[in-house]
Amino acid sequence: MDFNGLSVDQAPPISAPIRFFLTAPLFAILAGVLILFSDAASLASRHSIEAIVITHAITIGFLSFVMFGALTQMLPVLAGVKIAKVDFVSRLSYTFLLSGVLSMIFGLWLNIQILIFAASALLGGGFLITIISMLLALKNVINFTPSIKAMITSLIFALLITLIGVHLLASYGVGNFSESHLFFANTHSVWAIFGFAGILIIGVAFHILPMFYVAPKFKRFCKQRVVLLISLGLLFWMVLNLFLDSYAIVAKIWIITFFWAFATTVHIKLNTRRRKVSDITIWYWRSASVFMTLGAFSWVINDFFNSEYIVIVSVMIGGGFILSIMTGMLYKIVPFLVWFHLNAKGYMSIPTMNEMINKRLATAQFVLFIISLIGFVVSFFAPYLLSLSAIAFIISMLILEYNVISPVLIYLKTIKTKPDFDMSMFAATTQQQK
Amino acid sequence: MSSIKEYLSTDHGRCDELFASMEDAVTKDIQSAKEAYEEFANATERHFQMEERVMFLEFEQKTGMTQGPTAMMRHEHAQMRNLISDMGEAIDDKDKDKFFGSSETLMILMQQHNMKEEQMLYTMAQQHLSADSERIVDMMNSMIVE
Repeated sequence: MDFNGLSVDQAPPISAPIRFFLTAPLFAILAGVLILFSDAASLASRHSIEAIVITHAITIGFLSFVMFGALTQMLPVLAGVKIAKVDFVSRLSYTFLLSGVLSMIFGLWLNIQILIFAASALLGGGFLITIISMLLALKNVINFTPSIKAMITSLIFALLITLIGVHLLASYGVGNFSESHLFFANTHSVWAIFGFAGILIIGVAFHILPMFYVAPKFKRFCKQRVVLLISLGLLFWMVLNLFLDSYAIVAKIWIITFFWAFATTVHIKLNTRRRKVSDITIWYWRSASVFMTLGAFSWVINDFFNSEYIVIVSVMIGGGFILSIMTGMLYKIVPFLVWFHLNAKGYMSIPTMNEMINKRLATAQFVLFIISLIGFVVSFFAPYLLSLSAIAFIISMLILEYNVISPVLIYLKTIKTKPDFDMSMFAATTQQQK
Repeated sequence: MSSIKEYLSTDHGRCDELFASMEDAVTKDIQSAKEAYEEFANATERHFQMEERVMFLEFEQKTGMTQGPTAMMRHEHAQMRNLISDMGEAIDDKDKDKFFGSSETLMILMQQHNMKEEQMLYTMAQQHLSADSERIVDMMNSMIVE
């Protein structure tokens, strides 16, 4: 039997996921600042340059960065495979994505053609490097669980939205839009939200909720069928959008039913979990569940109002659902990685995970985040609230950056000291295995 | 008779239940949580020993991989034993913050360890040891904890 690539014993270096995690909140801060410099009328349309730039500062700069960081870390654990040359791939994709998203933001905002072209190439390169290296690693899986199938599906959607995104962005560079531009833009956004992020969240939740919170397991139907049914719904939606636009709502209801059911299931699982301890991550799961439910209904209702409220739907699903879950996850994964890597290096007298992040600051960050989301929704009707909401969002993300940087500073400070145990012998042994 | 994978995966679930009961007990009253702690600590130690003294040995003998995945799993067992012992000390000191600091860390370490075992190692063990599966489960079942 060929066990090459299988990595029950190999975690990637801490820098591989951490560089993505520490950068993500900075883009959310930048998005907040850009909202401050935008007028409410421009942001009310999803097709305005301001709305496109701010959306991508969040979706690429924050969400994709966190998802790629987390996947880098989770592949060896959840799938038992490792990305080949993980450190190199992480550095390369990070550099491409970072320079790409900055080029996109400033290129579009300031209308600098060369930057827009550069962004299209850099983002295309960054996403493709990451996605393909992960899909290649997943080829080695020997036990395809529902979570792994969901990861693969999510990455395939990511691949498709990358190709569409490269085309869309290049169109802005050329300043020439094809007749199908709107169709591609719609497909890009709906597949990104529900196909890439949504399916990944659902797939990982199959494991995370029952394991970390000792909650009842997901039903067999959920684990075996839901990802497939959502994927078919997304393809069906695209076909209807192309040929029978007036019936596209049927596919929307199809897709959203599963996400609404998922949000309700999360809520029920959290209520029936055996592990009653409540923390910031639980609050984020709960807020995600509420916003997903509201967003699901809003998305369908929005169709009856000529898509007038699509920005509200985006805030609820993109911000309230996906951003909530990603932020909640950062609060667990960053301190754990710090503890895990220090412990593996032989440091025993280190702070526990709970001591690495100030609970009050985490609570303040959560409250400000929720206030800002509600503020963004309300400011659609009361534009004078937009700046205040943006300020609340910026402060919330500044606190988040501080909260995720604190454990990393503990790591950096600790590794300058001498470990309690010399683990070099052990490291040498495991190195031989590689 | 269940397979090695089923038997040990089910035992993970049992330890998780005891972990949750222990946290409940500490939340209610740390003074009287020692019993729930002992129950969790003993069940987990039994699970570690079933692997280290039975299943891992059989796996290593069959595959010749003595420094591979089983070595890393043993290392993670040592990390978890340390945390479990820290939690015991926290209960003795009636220090809830210290207890939950260690229990949270243990929970994540334990679950990512369990995922690796259930996803990879047990699947590999089941493939290599399927002919002896019944005997190995019997040995684990009747093992006396040292």
